[in-house]
Amino acid sequence: MLLEFELNGKQTRIEADPTLRALDLLRDVLGLTGTKEGCGHGECGACTILVDGKPVNSCLLYAAKLQGRRVTTIEGLTVADDTADGAEDGTEDGAEDCGSPWDPPPLHPLQEAFLCEGAVQCGFCTPGMILSAKALLDQNPDPEEREIEEALSGNLCRCTGYRKIVKAVQKAAAELRSRGSR
Amino acid sequence: MAAEAAGQRMKYLAGGTDLAVQISEGIVDPALLIDISAVEELRRIEENGEGLRIGAAVTIAELLEALRAAEAGKSAESAAIPRCLLQGAGSIGSPQIRHLGTIGGNVCNASPCGDTLAPLIVLAASFSLRSAHSSREVPAEEFFLGPKSTVMEPGELLESIFIPRTHLRGRSAFRMIGKRNGQVISQVNVAVWLRREQGKAHGTGEERPLPVQDIRIAAGSVAPIPLRLRRAEQCLRGSVPEASALRAAARAVQEEIQPISDVRTSREYRRGVTAALFMDVMAEVLEGEGG
Amino acid sequence: MKLEKLNVVGRAVAKVDGVELVTGRAKFAGDLRFPGMLYAVARRAGIPAGKIRSIDTSAALALPGIKAVLTAEDIPGANIIGILPPFDQPLLAAEEVRYEGESLALVVAESREAAKRGAAAVWIDIEPWEPVLEVDEALAEGCRKIHPGGNVTFSKRLVKGDVEKGFAEAEVVVENTYHTSFQEHAYLEPETVAAVPGGDGRITVYASCQSPFHIRGHIAANLDLPASRVKVIQAYTGGSFGGKDDVATEIGCLAAAAALKVQAPVMIAHERGESIVGSNLRHAARIHYRTGSRRDGTILAREATIHLDGGAYASESPFVTMKALIHAGGPYHVANVQVECTAVYTNKTYCGAFRGFGVPQVTFASESQIDELAAELGMDPLELRRKNALRAGQANATDQVFEQSVGLVQTIDRVAERAAEPGAGAPEAERNAGRWLYGRGCACMLQGISNGAEGIDVVGASVQASQDGSVLVGVGLTDMGQGSRTVFAQIAAEVLGVTMDRVTVHQVDTDSVHDSGPTVASRSTTVGGMAVYKAAREVRSSLVKMASLMIKCEEQQVLLQDNFAVLAPDARRAADPEVRIPLREVCTAAYWTGFPLMNLTFSRAPDANFDHETHQGNIYIAYNFGTHLMDVRIDRLTGVVEVLRHLAAHDLGKAINPMGVEGQVEGGALIGFGMAHLERIEHRGGCIQNANFADYAVPSIKDRLPTETIIVEDPNPTGPYGAKGVGEPPVAGTAAAFANAVAAATGIRFTSLPIRREDLLEALQGRNGGAAAEVGS
Repeated sequence: MLLEFELNGKQTRIEADPTLRALDLLRDVLGLTGTKEGCGHGECGACTILVDGKPVNSCLLYAAKLQGRRVTTIEGLTVADDTADGAEDGTEDGAEDCGSPWDPPPLHPLQEAFLCEGAVQCGFCTPGMILSAKALLDQNPDPEEREIEEALSGNLCRCTGYRKIVKAVQKAAAELRSRGSR
Repeated sequence: MAAEAAGQRMKYLAGGTDLAVQISEGIVDPALLIDISAVEELRRIEENGEGLRIGAAVTIAELLEALRAAEAGKSAESAAIPRCLLQGAGSIGSPQIRHLGTIGGNVCNASPCGDTLAPLIVLAASFSLRSAHSSREVPAEEFFLGPKSTVMEPGELLESIFIPRTHLRGRSAFRMIGKRNGQVISQVNVAVWLRREQGKAHGTGEERPLPVQDIRIAAGSVAPIPLRLRRAEQCLRGSVPEASALRAAARAVQEEIQPISDVRTSREYRRGVTAALFMDVMAEVLEGEGG
Repeated sequence: MKLEKLNVVGRAVAKVDGVELVTGRAKFAGDLRFPGMLYAVARRAGIPAGKIRSIDTSAALALPGIKAVLTAEDIPGANIIGILPPFDQPLLAAEEVRYEGESLALVVAESREAAKRGAAAVWIDIEPWEPVLEVDEALAEGCRKIHPGGNVTFSKRLVKGDVEKGFAEAEVVVENTYHTSFQEHAYLEPETVAAVPGGDGRITVYASCQSPFHIRGHIAANLDLPASRVKVIQAYTGGSFGGKDDVATEIGCLAAAAALKVQAPVMIAHERGESIVGSNLRHAARIHYRTGSRRDGTILAREATIHLDGGAYASESPFVTMKALIHAGGPYHVANVQVECTAVYTNKTYCGAFRGFGVPQVTFASESQIDELAAELGMDPLELRRKNALRAGQANATDQVFEQSVGLVQTIDRVAERAAEPGAGAPEAERNAGRWLYGRGCACMLQGISNGAEGIDVVGASVQASQDGSVLVGVGLTDMGQGSRTVFAQIAAEVLGVTMDRVTVHQVDTDSVHDSGPTVASRSTTVGGMAVYKAAREVRSSLVKMASLMIKCEEQQVLLQDNFAVLAPDARRAADPEVRIPLREVCTAAYWTGFPLMNLTFSRAPDANFDHETHQGNIYIAYNFGTHLMDVRIDRLTGVVEVLRHLAAHDLGKAINPMGVEGQVEGGALIGFGMAHLERIEHRGGCIQNANFADYAVPSIKDRLPTETIIVEDPNPTGPYGAKGVGEPPVAGTAAAFANAVAAATGIRFTSLPIRREDLLEALQGRNGGAAAEVGS
C-alpha cells in the first residue's frame, strides 16, 4: 500500500504493508527509533505518538491508519512546534543554570523541563511521556495537577516515581504560557 | 457498504485496541480486516426527538468530548446527557486507548468488564446491527451471551448505538474499581439509571424524599455478561429511597451477582466492593433531589 | 577528604546523557541496526517441570526466513550460566525443564515475526513431572530433587551473642510470621542484546545490561573463546534494577552463539510476556521472627528464620540469602541476634537481584516486629526505634563497628521534626468515625553499600585529558538511569577544575577499563566514584605540575577551577594581578613536556573479613541508614488507600547530585510501594498468570507517592566526598512504613505483602462479621 501522510511536518510517501504496526513502520522502515516498544499491548505508553495531535499507542495502530494524517514523533518535537527555542533561553529563565552539559540542539520546553527537573532517568518512557504531555498542553495550556496525571495516565515509568515528571510538565506549561504572552 | 464476506474469515477493524492485541497473540487470525474506522455514517453522533444515536466507530475520546460539550451547553429543559456513559467511557484505559478505541469496539469485544456496557444496559440502549441482507435492533441487555460472545452473526456489523430519550431523562451514574488508580481494567463496575417521581424537591422540615419511579441497575465483571440486577431494582422501584431500602438493594446486589475469582481479583472482593460501588452510585443519582 | 569548597559536587545538575534521552536520539540496544542483522527468538518450555525427551527443529527450519535453529549441542562451550557456584543454569536446556520459561532452542530468522513463527514450530517432547511449587514441599523428605544436590540452594546463619540468654532475660516478647510475594522488575525496556561478529575474530555484543563483564566472561566460557576476543558495550539501558544482571548474560550468550553460527549480527529482543516469565523475579520470602526486650524498650534479642523461594535456578540466591541474613536484625544495637536464611529451589521462574536484594523482605518483617513490640510496651513506635538505634561506635548485627557515618538517629530526628509540622495527614482518632481510616506508620532501616560479603570489590576507571582541556571518563559501572554517569562527570569536573560541558563519560566498554564486576548493591557512587576520583587525581597532578612550571610557583599554590589553572589568592601579593592560564594551554604544554594526561586506575574497596559460620566481622564498607514515615487513609468500603504523606530520610554520606538523590528516593520508594500494595506475580501450577502490564499492577502516575526526600549527610570515609549509595534503601523503608501505617489505620496487623485493596476490604469486613454489615450504615 502506498502510504502518504505528514510526518513531523514533512509530507512522506512510502510503500508499506498496511498491517505493519505504525511502531514498526517508524522504527524499522523509516529509521525513527525514538518511539519505543515496552509491551506491545497498549499497556505502557512507551510507543506513544501523536496522530492529528492526539496521543495513541503506535503498537496497536496499523500503518494503514496513518493515511492522510498528521503524525508527530519525538524526533519531530522541535520541528512540529515553533515555540521550540535554543538552549540559551533556558539560562535566562531560572536563577540557576540547569547545567545542560553541552550545547544541545533546540529543545522544546517540555524536553528542556524534563532535563532540568530530573524527570528523566533511564529515558525509555521519556519520548512517549513527553508526547502525551505535549498533547495535553496543546489543548490545555494551564492544566491542574489532576489533569496532568490524567493525561499521562497511559504512560508508565518505573524509574522516577513520577513526581519530577509532574513538576516538569508544570514548568514547561508555565514557560509556554509566558512565551505565548510575549 | 456491507462487504460480501461470506466464507471468508473476516473481522471489522475500528480502533484495534482489542483486536490488534488478539491478532498479535494469535487468538484470532482473520484472513481479511475491514477497516471501518473512517466510514462517515458510523462516526456520527446525533440527537433528535427520539433520542441519542452514536455511531459505532466514534472513538471513546470523541464520545467524551461530545458529551462534555453537550453538558456544557445544555439548558435546563433539554434532556440531560447520559452521565453514567460519560463516566464509564472516561474510565476506559488511558488517553491513548481512548483516542483509538471506539464505543462499537468496546461493545463488540463484549468483555464483561467493558466500561460502557453496564451504562448502556441501564440506559436501555439498543444496538443497530446490519448484515448484507438485513438489519435488526437488539436491546443491549440481550446482546451479550458470554465473555467475548454476542448475538452477532458472522459478517454482521454494529452500525450504531441508540439511547432513547426516556432514558436520557432521569439521573444515572457509574463507578468502577481496579487494582490501581491509573490505566485500570475494572475488577467490578456498577451503573444505575433512575427516574424520580415529579414533585417539589425543596421545602422545609421533614419532607419525605421523592419515590423512585423507575430504576435500572447493571454491573460488569460480576458474571459472564454485564448483568442487569432486577431483584435489586425491585427493592427500589416505586419506593422511597430511604436507608433501609438502599441497604436491602445493596444486599440484593451482592446476592444477585455471580462473581468469580480470577487473575484480577477474588470473588469475595467483588461481592464486597460491588455493594460499596452501588451505594456510591446511588448517592450520586439521589443527590440534590430531597434524597 | 578535607571539606573544601566544592564547585560541582553537591549541586543539582542535569544528567549528562539527558539530551539524547529527551530527544529520542539515544540508541538503546533495540534501536541499533547492523547490515544483514537477523533476529532470534527462544522456544520456551511452557510447562514448569519435566524430562526433555526430544527437540525436533526440522519443521522450524523449513519455514521461510529461518536461518538457523540452535539447541544445546550448538553451544561450543559449557552451556552454563549463573552468577555464582553452583553454576546450575543451562543456556539451552537439553535434559530437564525446571521452569516454564526454560529455553530449549533458539530460532534465528530474517525478521522478528519469522523467528517467532519458527520458535512456535519447534517440536518439543517433554514428559511432564509434577512441579514442586512450595518451599515446604521442596524441603520435605522424599521430595523430587530439582537439582542433583537437592532443593536447598543455599543456607547460612548469623550468630551474635546468645539469643536464648537474651530471650530469657526479656520481659516482653513478640513473635510472628511474615510473607512477601514475588515482584517483577517491570523496567520499561525489555531485555535486548545485539551480537555483531567482527572480521577480526572478535565479537562485539551491545547489551541493555548492568554487568557487562559478566556477559563477557560467560560468552567466552560458552563459546569457547578467549575473553579477550569478546567485547561488550553497554547500550543505553532502559532500567534494570537488578533484573538484567543475569538475563542479559543469558541472551548475550545466545545472541553471540547465534551470530557466530550464522556469521551475521543477531538481535534478541524480549517481548513483555517473556520478559516477565523468562527473567528473574524478587524472591518471595517467609520470615518467622521473634523479638524480646525489657519493659523499658531495650531490645535484648532478635531471632529470625527466613525461607526464600528462589525458583528454578540459583542466580543470585546465595548473595540474597547472605544479605537478608545480615540485615534482618535491623539498624539497632542488639546484643543477641540469630538469623538463619535458606534459599530453596522450586519449579517457578527463578529469582535473583532486584533493587533491595533481600533487604526489603526482612525490613518489612523486622519493622513490623518493632511496631508490634511498641504496641506491647505502650511506647511510641519512633521513640522505641530511637532508643535502640545504632550509633557510631556501636556494633551492628555482624558485630561490625563504624566510628563514622552512622546517621540513623539524625534521620529519625529529621523525620520526627518534619512530621510534627502541620501537613496533610496527621491522623486523629475522631476522623476514623467516617468512611476513611487514618493511620501513621514509620520504619527504620539500613542497607549495606557495595559488595560486602559477596566478594572482591573493585572498579576500574579511566580519566583522560586531551590537549584542548576536555576530559574523557570511562568507568566499568553502568548507568541504567540512576545517574551514575552524571556523578562520575561531576567528580572528574570537580577534581580537574573543568566545567561539566568539558567532560564526557563514554559508554561502558569492557575493552577500556578493569573488570569492575556488576553495577549492583548501590555501589556506583561509592566505589565507582572513588575510582574516578583516584584517576582524576592522578591526571590533576600532571596538570598542577605543569601549571606550577608555567606560573613559576609551588604546586600546592595552584588551583584548578572553571577551566583555568589559577594561582591561589593567598599565594600572590595584594598588588599582583590575578594569574590564570586556560587549562587547554596547560594540557597542551603538559603533553609536549611529557606529563601523562591519562590515568587508568583500579579502585579496590576494603575486603570483607568475617567468620563464615556466624557472619560476624567487617562486611560492608558503609551502610546507608534511613527512616521513613507514611500517613495513609483507607476507604473501609473499597480498600482503596491514599497516601497522604511520605517522608523518606536517608543518611547517604554526601549528596553528590541532590536532584539525582531525590530521583533515586522517589523512584525506589514507588517500587517499594508496589511491593507492599499493588504488585503480585500470580502463579498457578507453577505458571505465571499475569505476565502483562494489565494484570500486573505497576504503579501508574495516578498511584504516585507524595514522597519528600530528606537528605542527611554523615560523611563516609570510604566514598568520594563522603558519599555512600542510596539506590536501594528507599525500597525497604517505604514498604515497611506502608505496612505499619496500614496496621495503625485498621488496627489489623497484615503479615503478608502485598496488602492490596482486596486484602484490606476482606480483613475489614471479616472483622465486622460479614460483607453487608458496613454497607449503607
